[in-house]
Amino acid sequence: MRIFIDLWWFFKQERLKYSFGVIFLMLSSFLSMIPPYVVGILVDDIRTRSLTPLTLGKWIAFLVIIGIIYYFTGYIWRQLIFGSSIILANQLRNDLYKHFTKLSPNFFQKRRIGDLMAHATNDINAVQGAAGEGILTLFDSITLGGMVIVTMSVFISWKLTLITLLPMPIMVILTMYYGSLLHKRFGKAQAAFSDLNDKVQENVSGVRVIKAFGEEDAQITMFRKASQDVVNKNIAVAKVDSLFDPTITFIVAFCYFLALIFGSVYVVGGSMTLGGLTSFTLYLGQLVWPMLAFGFLFNIVERGSASYDRIRRLLAIKPEITDQKGASDQVPSGSIDFSIRSFRYPGSDSDALTDIRFQVNQGQTLGIVGKTGAGKTTLLRLLLREFDIKDGQISIGGTAIQAVTLDALRSAIGYVPQDHILFSATIAENIAFAKPEASQEEVERVAKLASIHEDILHFKEGYETVVGERGVTLSGGQKQRISIARALLADPELLIFDDSLSAVDARTEVSILHALKHERRNKTTLISAHRLSAVEHADLIIVMGDGKIIERGTHEDLIQAEGWYAEMYAHQQLESLVSEGGTKA
Amino acid sequence: MNEEQNLAQLSGRRVMRRLLSYLKYFKKKVIITFIVLLIATGADVLGPIVMKVFIDDYLTPRVFPVQPLILLGALFIGLYAISALFNYYQVISFQKIALNIIQIMRVEVFSKVQHLGLRFFDQTPGGSLVSRITNDTETIKDLYVTVLSTIVNSTIMMIGIFAGMFFLDARLALICFILMPFLLVLMWVYRTLSSKVYRVTRVKLSQLNAKLNESLQGMSMIQAMRQQKRLRREFGKINNDHKKALLKSVRLNSLMLRSAVYSVYLIGLMMILSFFGIQSFDNAVKIGVLYAFINYLDRFFDPINQIMQQLTIFQQAMVSAERVFGLLDDQRMAPVQRGDVNPAVQEGRVEFRNVTFAYDGKNPVLKNISFTANPGETIALVGHTGSGKSSIINLLMRFYPIEQGTVFIDGQPLTAFSDGELRKRIGLVLQDSFMFVGDVADNIRLSHEKLTDEQVRKAAEFVQADHFITKLPKQYHEPVGERGATFSSGQRQLLSFARTMAQDPKILVLDEATASVDTETEEAIQTALSKMRKGRTTIAIAHRLSTIQDADQILVLHRGEIVERGTHQELLQKGGLYFNMYQLQHGKGAGEVSSAQ
Repeated sequence: MRIFIDLWWFFKQERLKYSFGVIFLMLSSFLSMIPPYVVGILVDDIRTRSLTPLTLGKWIAFLVIIGIIYYFTGYIWRQLIFGSSIILANQLRNDLYKHFTKLSPNFFQKRRIGDLMAHATNDINAVQGAAGEGILTLFDSITLGGMVIVTMSVFISWKLTLITLLPMPIMVILTMYYGSLLHKRFGKAQAAFSDLNDKVQENVSGVRVIKAFGEEDAQITMFRKASQDVVNKNIAVAKVDSLFDPTITFIVAFCYFLALIFGSVYVVGGSMTLGGLTSFTLYLGQLVWPMLAFGFLFNIVERGSASYDRIRRLLAIKPEITDQKGASDQVPSGSIDFSIRSFRYPGSDSDALTDIRFQVNQGQTLGIVGKTGAGKTTLLRLLLREFDIKDGQISIGGTAIQAVTLDALRSAIGYVPQDHILFSATIAENIAFAKPEASQEEVERVAKLASIHEDILHFKEGYETVVGERGVTLSGGQKQRISIARALLADPELLIFDDSLSAVDARTEVSILHALKHERRNKTTLISAHRLSAVEHADLIIVMGDGKIIERGTHEDLIQAEGWYAEMYAHQQLESLVSEGGTKA
Repeated sequence: MNEEQNLAQLSGRRVMRRLLSYLKYFKKKVIITFIVLLIATGADVLGPIVMKVFIDDYLTPRVFPVQPLILLGALFIGLYAISALFNYYQVISFQKIALNIIQIMRVEVFSKVQHLGLRFFDQTPGGSLVSRITNDTETIKDLYVTVLSTIVNSTIMMIGIFAGMFFLDARLALICFILMPFLLVLMWVYRTLSSKVYRVTRVKLSQLNAKLNESLQGMSMIQAMRQQKRLRREFGKINNDHKKALLKSVRLNSLMLRSAVYSVYLIGLMMILSFFGIQSFDNAVKIGVLYAFINYLDRFFDPINQIMQQLTIFQQAMVSAERVFGLLDDQRMAPVQRGDVNPAVQEGRVEFRNVTFAYDGKNPVLKNISFTANPGETIALVGHTGSGKSSIINLLMRFYPIEQGTVFIDGQPLTAFSDGELRKRIGLVLQDSFMFVGDVADNIRLSHEKLTDEQVRKAAEFVQADHFITKLPKQYHEPVGERGATFSSGQRQLLSFARTMAQDPKILVLDEATASVDTETEEAIQTALSKMRKGRTTIAIAHRLSTIQDADQILVLHRGEIVERGTHQELLQKGGLYFNMYQLQHGKGAGEVSSAQ
């Protein structure tokens, strides 16, 4: 029941809705006591043949009124209680989302997206259940159950009530037991299903290999087995699930049986009328739901509690990178200074970078090259403050990047990441991502700079073409160029290309680089690349190896040095000729 | 009613008929279960009649003979015991049938997909395909497990109750029958309204999830571009829309579900009371009958409530079923063997003769391609992206049907070979080395159980993959995770080489990786490749100089045509591309380039 205390803030926030909701719920319960009572009176009148058309008419009219009021009270409490629980879910989801937007990139690399999604869907649903059905079952089991029992005892016979209710606790215990058993088995069935899903996913992604090796039949056998496992686990669920109804029917029937036997004794003894016995059995029928609700309550509360704890734990995670006290919100500008003695990723036991020292003057272009894993991306991520450096510092225009707010730092930097992240929206909206108010002209201008304008015009709906899952699929090169255009639109002080020209062909690369040179006069550009042609023109090229700078200088310097760069350059020239086929020759 | 609606209803009926046709696999079980259901319902319905007999024959006249009463009591308890047991059996049995139907359907869909051609896979996004095989069939499962069994159960129960009513008093039963139209109208209205609301809710929910998923994936970008506030606003808006849709469905449910059904119950109760009340003005009334009627009425509404709650799932399931059947009826099958000659691949001579090919049937990606690879020779394909290199490989693998021209292996047309022979004799190594979840040995062996551990090890040794495998903690039993993420791309390449070599193919089809790997692995890959090619006909999309220089024939492709061909030496003499390369090598004389020569 702790969940109700945990959610107290919300009940307080929505106190009017909840108070009235509960009042109307109780009113509903009270109203539902009336028809069986009327039935009892009428049965007695009918039996003794003392019923007159007038009294019958009066009672029927009374029932009509009760029915109408009941209908509206029922409508009102459902609206208030279930409506509030939906508001709670809505609020929690917004809170979670807001929290996500504050967390550092490192967090998103550590946690699986699917897992985070589950918090925002399943867990929130469980909490919503506690605030809706939880409240309903809590009050229904207590108030409605209480009222029925009191009515039965006071108006009919407390002795008969006691006797008849004897089997009820068994039902409550059994259904509670079934409930928890069901929950466990259901979890297993879910897991089997998600396993099946993974297998199908693998099969679809690996279709070429499967076909090439003639693995189709083996895959079908594997699938049949996995699917059979899902069936078996679901049958295990069904075996518990199917227990509810028969158990309830049988125990309730037994209650009826007791009521009829002992009720008859009282009727014969004269302490009860036949009408009373009829009302009694009707009340008995009304007792089933509160009893069940009592059992459900525990399961709902248990699930809600566990989920709410998970959500709170997630909300309690602090962002790793935050604004320092007294950080300035002046957008930094000027030359960039890297002076890092060493850096290692949190949780890692070896340095990712050592002795990185260089300077890029405002308006210059820096090229960063080196093998995969040499530390190129790490270098750029530090500049973006995705991680904080403990041993050394990076400054822009003489100001350490920690001395300004994250927001100010980010507004100075335009970033084109390695893996191009586009959002499901139109191409124009994607390009204008950092500047939603940009005009169509601005968007087209940067698209031309990024050599993507022509491609876009080829799409049926041009700039209004939707990309992403439900839209057109773009090639890797197209995505890259769109994200380049996106970064250019913001016209930042500092532009970072993190191996973002890898998927465009040589000719396009040249034209983009050319456009950049023109466009970004007096602005600083950092380019990391695999293909050396992307950094050839840079004012300074640093060659990274094992987290250190192993060579540095201009293209000419490095070629003359006849080191890694020169070797790689010759090799790439050759390979590009080969893969270009005869066209360039 | 317009035509569209008519059509939709018609196809809905067809889908339903096809869904129900799966019941034929379980005819006997269905019949037995149905009989059990009838017995259970019968027992259920008889209960109130026993109560009536007790009230009218014994309680009202106040005669209590011991033996018949005990018998009656035993009968009452017995009836409910039967009802409980039989109902339990019946519900489980229905669920089992439903689950087994889904099993059949799933295997059917999955098998179908396995035999679809690559053309289908090119045109269908992977995510939606997976969702059809799993999620859509899951929705159909709900249809069978909950909807159909609830509807059958509830309907039988309602019929039973009416039968009991008729038995007790036909006139009153007929009057009670008046309630049915009310209920049917209520159900129909609810179904129509709720399916709309439900659809909106689902759309909003999937938008909400998509937005969240996308934001989580792109959070670094959102933060780098300082769009947190805007995205929060956008998410808040979708979240609100979702809330509104949910509130609407709560409103609809509060208006039309239990409260409304309870109102109809009250109407029924009033009718019964009036009926007996009016009767009592003139004659004595059998209280037992009244009691039993009220009892029946009490139970009549539970099935109604249950059916109404299932109506929304029903609609969704029909949509899913339509999608699944669409997939089952897809015509884009993989090319299969024609004729029953069953030739064997003996020498491994590959010939392309005047092959022209278009993926879409209109724009050819290969134009009149002809070349021959003699047994043991290596053919290197070079050319830039889109020149048609991959298409040549795709056709040789018989991934797509060839419409113009012919591919021969050992003089026999490609179409004459059985799938088994083709897959065994032609080994494909793809640039993207796909790994399956399992362990290292599984990934080399695949489903070929006949391969011994020794053979697996030999294959790994042959391609020099054993160096890194033996360094793994569990060696050949080292687990491989999703897509082999724990292995480097070079290691994955070597594993996929081993996988191919374990089959000992006659013809090798290579799509060399361009991805840069560390020097040590690169060397291993080079050595492995040249060893693999020895004694085998090889068709390679070549990026590595070693492969190209050793090739017996180099085909330079441009826009689907072979623009230049010849050996390394011949091409050098032509003074074209190879000449330039040669110059470059001598001019710079840099490390790897000269060592490759």
